[in-house]
Amino acid sequence: MSSLVFRQYRAQALAAIGSLAAFAALMVVTGLQMAGQWHSALVTCAALRSCDNLSSTLFLGTHAVGFLVIMTLGVPLVLGILCGAPLVAHEFETGTNQFAWTQTITRRRWLAVKAGWLLLAAAAVGGTVSGLVTWWSGPNNALQGNAFNTGRFDIMGVVPVGFAVFAMALGILAGTLLRRTVPAVGLTIAGFIAVRLAVTEWLRPHYLTAVTHVYGLTQNWTPSRTAWQFAQGIITPDGRRLFPADGADISGNVQVSMVPAACHHLLSQTNPGPVLSCMQSAGFRQFVSYQPANRYWAFQGIETGIFVALAVALLAITFALVRRRDA
Amino acid sequence: MTWLVWRQYRMSAAVTVALLAAFGALLLATGLRMAAQWHSVLLACTAAGNCATTAQQEIYLGSPAIQILIVLTMAVPAVFGLLWGVPLVAHETETGTRIYAWTQTVTRRRWLAVKVGWTLLAATACGGLLAALVTWWSGPKNALYQNAFDPGIFDLQGIAPMGYALFATALGIFAGTVLRRTLPALGLTLGGFVAVRLLINVFVRQHYMAAVTLYHSPLAPVNLPGSAWILARGLISKYGQVFSGGSGPSVNGVPVSALPASCQSLLYHGPQSISRAGLRAAASCVQSQGFRGFTTYQPSSRFWAFQGIETGIFAAMALALIVATFVVVRRGDA
Repeated sequence: MSSLVFRQYRAQALAAIGSLAAFAALMVVTGLQMAGQWHSALVTCAALRSCDNLSSTLFLGTHAVGFLVIMTLGVPLVLGILCGAPLVAHEFETGTNQFAWTQTITRRRWLAVKAGWLLLAAAAVGGTVSGLVTWWSGPNNALQGNAFNTGRFDIMGVVPVGFAVFAMALGILAGTLLRRTVPAVGLTIAGFIAVRLAVTEWLRPHYLTAVTHVYGLTQNWTPSRTAWQFAQGIITPDGRRLFPADGADISGNVQVSMVPAACHHLLSQTNPGPVLSCMQSAGFRQFVSYQPANRYWAFQGIETGIFVALAVALLAITFALVRRRDA
Repeated sequence: MTWLVWRQYRMSAAVTVALLAAFGALLLATGLRMAAQWHSVLLACTAAGNCATTAQQEIYLGSPAIQILIVLTMAVPAVFGLLWGVPLVAHETETGTRIYAWTQTVTRRRWLAVKVGWTLLAATACGGLLAALVTWWSGPKNALYQNAFDPGIFDLQGIAPMGYALFATALGIFAGTVLRRTLPALGLTLGGFVAVRLLINVFVRQHYMAAVTLYHSPLAPVNLPGSAWILARGLISKYGQVFSGGSGPSVNGVPVSALPASCQSLLYHGPQSISRAGLRAAASCVQSQGFRGFTTYQPSSRFWAFQGIETGIFAAMALALIVATFVVVRRGDA
């Protein structure tokens, strides 16, 4: 069985290895260049004692390569489209399933071996791309401290492995359900984007309860640069949270519209001090809610687990469908 | 023939119309809300008299979730190419139905012309509709950030997406015809579309028209009217040597390492940040040594010219691919 899988997929395997090698070469060359650039910028700013404002003045690497790195978001989808969707659908289209499913090898074993190798390959490709991107982004992560942000989190660490396995399983199921390759490709694209968007937007912020830091109106406090910050605003004495909206600011998170009637007479154009201390003594506080930077790997693990679990569920459905289908 | 095309594609037409309608409803709802938000910002800043400095950093229009969806529309032309373009000939070849289709009274050429014509028309119409929705939705953002000319934003708005849709679909048709099999054609279409778009985006677009260079006092911030596309900023020494880009920290786009050492030290008064006084001191120091500042850019008035040129390039490539497809189909055996 395994040799059959290799025969069927050798063209894809060659194409994948070729493009991975080209991508790796590009990453290593530009990554070394960028590491050198980062090193020299650190030396320069250390000499001038200006390293604090480096993140707003320095651009590392080139836009073209940066663009390519962002596009690795689409790699799992490509695997699902080109290898996952046709796995069962193409056999149905060409009728070869009638041959494959009437041999001594059971249908279940046939599917298990094919799907097993492809999922393994998907995990390997996803992991390799992610490893390269993670190494390449080292200087940028150090400079911007944004590895936890949406969009950066998704292309580094272990989550791309989970995405690749999920996309592959989704492609296989779509092909089994629809029995035709092209509609299965469409379903895979739509399903992958929908699930990824939904998890990113609605689930990821809640994997662990966010930390809320409450501090005085006249104080200044920000979480560590590499934390994932959600919201900031002020808390009223009765515990309501007000968020800065559009309008005139007084200082930091405090806006004119938030000032209680009792403190209104202290409003002045020049000095925010009296209003703030009036509000402070009335019980107003500022808050900021965030996910601390040290939860990065926990979040990576949870997200990968979710997508692997989804992939397992999709595969179980695929097995049930294939066993029930007529040859 | 047209009836046949309709029968073959009615399912995918229904799905497309449903998806477009859903996307349109979403953009309409969020777009109206964003326009109201923008309107209230304008009212507030007019009342306070600080519209000129209304911080682009402080106001975030719309929600990040919708923004991701908007950016994703960049990939929609590729989807047309994959789902409509590739199977057009490849699927008929794979299932053998082209033997039947090509031995009727309708000539092969007419068969291909009608199928290709309707598919390209549909792709262009859908691409145009999508771009129109995104352009309308982005109105407040374009006004606030003044970045409609920047790579990545330019590609989503105006008429360029129609050119991309046309090109991707033609590429899919061509790949399916030449490779005769759906799956390899899917790979070729995806790879080809991404490669061509990247190449034109990164290397070609900035040269559609000769860029304008503005000379000004060194290290001064430059406020260009509208959404100009800034290509380079830097310094020119009195001997004509250009200092631009480069690595390390920069001030208003000029790398600090390009400044003469005697002026660099004036820039920083403390480890915290570059002070206004330091910037002034460094600027007059650089000026006294004969440096001039320059900014190379494409003015915002060229936005539609660039849109037209980009669309023309992609339409021309689509035409070439279609011509090649016709040649291959006429020569091939049934």
